[in-house]
Amino acid sequence: MARKRKFKKLRIRKRREQKLIDVYQRKLVEALSELRLPVLMLHFALTFGTLGYMLLSDGDFINSFYMTVITIGTIGYGEIVQGSDTPIGRIFTSFLALSGIGIFTTSVTIVVRLIFKEDIINLYRAIRMLKEIENLSGHFIVCGYNEITARLVKLLRKRKIEFVVIDGRSEVATKLQEDNVKYFILEEPFKRSILLSAGIMKAKGMIINLEDDARNIAVIVTARLLRPERESFLIYSFAPTEETAQKLEELGANRAIVPARLLATRISAYIFHIGSAFISDLFDRIAFGEESDIDILELGVSEASPLVGKRLKEVDFRRKLSVTIIAIRKSDGELDINITGDTQIEGGDTLILFGSPKNLRKAQKILEDFERAERLIGGRVEV
Amino acid sequence: MKFKKIFTDFFILMALTTNISFIVTPSSYELVITVAANLAATILKIGEGRILSTELMASSLVADLHLVPALFLYFLGDVGEATSLAVGALAANVISVFLSIIETILSVFTDEEE
Repeated sequence: MARKRKFKKLRIRKRREQKLIDVYQRKLVEALSELRLPVLMLHFALTFGTLGYMLLSDGDFINSFYMTVITIGTIGYGEIVQGSDTPIGRIFTSFLALSGIGIFTTSVTIVVRLIFKEDIINLYRAIRMLKEIENLSGHFIVCGYNEITARLVKLLRKRKIEFVVIDGRSEVATKLQEDNVKYFILEEPFKRSILLSAGIMKAKGMIINLEDDARNIAVIVTARLLRPERESFLIYSFAPTEETAQKLEELGANRAIVPARLLATRISAYIFHIGSAFISDLFDRIAFGEESDIDILELGVSEASPLVGKRLKEVDFRRKLSVTIIAIRKSDGELDINITGDTQIEGGDTLILFGSPKNLRKAQKILEDFERAERLIGGRVEV
Repeated sequence: MKFKKIFTDFFILMALTTNISFIVTPSSYELVITVAANLAATILKIGEGRILSTELMASSLVADLHLVPALFLYFLGDVGEATSLAVGALAANVISVFLSIIETILSVFTDEEE
């Protein structure tokens, strides 16, 4: 007992959570260790041959090494080394050729097979990819790669949003490569270590579509345990029914989407707005991110913001920031669409801005920076 | 008793001893055997999952990169330069042996912990 206690005090390696990159690196090391035996056999054959010819030629290393290589490499240009044309030399060459050629061909075959074996190359690629993922931040994690998420990642890429795909099915690898998906992990996403390797701690959100409720739940729960704050880490999940959607939202998803409901709503929108098809379609496309030139942004106004108490015409968003306020959502949730230049901004309001994505981003940056917002209200046009 | 470890440690020590013997009495055979032992020690460290495997591999590569040029210099006639390179390799081999000892001690604690 006393001895055991003593060793416990001498703990050298702290147990830490095993990362996927460590697992892959260990696998690569294990795969590389298979190279040892063939390389060592080849090395011994070369050493044996070189030393033998050196003894025959009285220490002529360069020619002895060359003669060994051409003998076991089945090139056989001739008896170059002095003493190799003697009976003893020929017996040695015969012995070396018989054993060496077998070792050479076997070793070269094993080495080539190991190097070009899919596992080693894939492991190396996966390690490199995981290292790059470690540097990502503000990205999205997409769990499950299928028709819907494949389309989703295309839209993310279009908006230059970085993402990491996680899917446990190895057959998805080809599809991911065909679709030029930069970062992907071929492991089950409900494991804590996998989510950590996908950079969940620095990610902005997650999209879960694993086509199985139990697996979706497992991922949501694991992710929410790692990132409990709903505002800073968004989880969107797919659900087959309204009941499941409710459960997923209760378990931690910010929003669970029922594809059938979504499709029905969208089609009904076309039917209900037949008379104003263009504008209805435009709003629809903006809302779904299909319109790249126009966008809508919701901007919350805090109590401390210099915008509080100002009338819209005083701020003059349209002229100074090239964005338009189309509505204001009040703190009680009511939407004010009858806004005029005299409408006053209150703390807790959410301004709904309309404009080009570039101008919206710029407006957001300025209005969230109180000093710059103050200058803007003071009359200076931001460029 | 781990036979794999005996085999690896044998070549690590062999690399050191042959290196010393070449420095003491420089001869072509000694040098070839030194290079062979060093290369064998390096090969045995490929893919080694030991605690200090990275450091062991690095020190072994340093010794190789001293001894292989030394081999060619020796047979091209520059014995003095070859010997001085072998002294450099000796330093790397001494470090290699020390690392191997430290690694063995560390592995005792790690095994105990597991």
